[in-house]
Amino acid sequence: MTDDVVDTLAEDLKISKAVEALHFNSPTKPKSESLNTTNKNENEANNYDDNDDEENDNDDDDDDDNDDEHIYINEETETGVERILVSKAPEERIVPPLNFCPVERYLYRSGQPSPVNFPFLLNLHLKTIIWLANEEPQDTLLEFCESNNIELQFAAINPDAGEDDNPWDGLTEHSIINALKTIVEKKNYPMLVCCGMGRHRTGTVIGCLRKLMAWNLASVSEEYRRFSGSRGGRILVELLIEAFDTKLIKIEKDKAPDWLLTAVESD
Amino acid sequence: MQHKTYIPPLNFSPVVSTDVSLYRSGYPMPLNYSFIKDRLNLKTIIYVGDKEDLTDEYSEFLKAEGIEFYHVFMDSCRDKNINSQINTVLEIILDIDNYPILIHSNKGKHRVGIIVGIIRKVLQGWSTAGIYQEYSIFSGGLKGDADLEFITMFETHMSVRKDKIPKYVTDSLNI
Repeated sequence: MTDDVVDTLAEDLKISKAVEALHFNSPTKPKSESLNTTNKNENEANNYDDNDDEENDNDDDDDDDNDDEHIYINEETETGVERILVSKAPEERIVPPLNFCPVERYLYRSGQPSPVNFPFLLNLHLKTIIWLANEEPQDTLLEFCESNNIELQFAAINPDAGEDDNPWDGLTEHSIINALKTIVEKKNYPMLVCCGMGRHRTGTVIGCLRKLMAWNLASVSEEYRRFSGSRGGRILVELLIEAFDTKLIKIEKDKAPDWLLTAVESD
Repeated sequence: MQHKTYIPPLNFSPVVSTDVSLYRSGYPMPLNYSFIKDRLNLKTIIYVGDKEDLTDEYSEFLKAEGIEFYHVFMDSCRDKNINSQINTVLEIILDIDNYPILIHSNKGKHRVGIIVGIIRKVLQGWSTAGIYQEYSIFSGGLKGDADLEFITMFETHMSVRKDKIPKYVTDSLNI
């Protein structure tokens, strides 16, 4: 089990470093501004020309070195319909958090976002982040939530364990219910559900949601295992999902997201 | 409480799920039809793959549901006309009138993985590391180096109507 944690940390560090090295290559611009500079348009082009050389030095290999070419060019055709040229990736790339994936409309899952992911998160216009852990997330994430008016909800995985808590402990029924109560209310959307790696705890909550949506159990497990990494799924998590009593979650018609209503109404 | 369970197709997942919905999966089987019918309300299905003939069940299902079906032939990223095949897919995806869309291949791993990777890169500006990770989540940890290299090197040159581009693309790219 200790191996697991060490491995996890090492992996996390490796990935975030690699990502950082690859994509935040412009020393002149603070990270938080990356969103605004995701794409160049013609008006801004001149301001960037000075930076082009330094940017190219660290640029990763999929970007063309020719920065004079602009990616999106508005063209007026004879019919008067405005057209856009699509050719290659934008200059500034956004970095999704570890194990990021959409789950349902405006509902996402991932591992713990780090500052390198903040421009990506801003694009999601999140209103709520559900953090599935006993310990607080990194300060940077707390600050990010505060300054962007994102509600950070702790769903402590095992509130009674106190000091004895282990990161690999499964979620308690209580914390699953807490998380799902937030998920079944549309006023909390757009929403991200996350834990350290976005594997087991996030997988438990999403698995219970799928069960609530009347997914077949084998399909719920397939989805869970997909995100569980090279060590595969944990039987404990699949048992928790299987044993979860969906009747514990009350879905109120006027408060639930539409996709959830269509999922439960067809019973 | 629940009388009926739904079985999504293999490797099913939303790719984009905002004002429009774009899904990915493996080849839909008859046991998945009720899920597709009740839950996804698809307008378009794009099949990227090598099977030429649809089963009778599948074509009947598509007809009954009034789903527009496109078969874009694709064997692997080494296909001779791969770029024009991918452009065909992108043209469908860049038209808001075609949504909700499901893209499927046979297992929903490699061919769909290439298409999704290209969407993430060219239309959404995702980092290469993020694209690689998503590819590997859906390929069951298989690396698919050739596919990833192909995604990384891919460029196109196509002109599309601005008013038909979905919002998730215009938002991501600040068009």
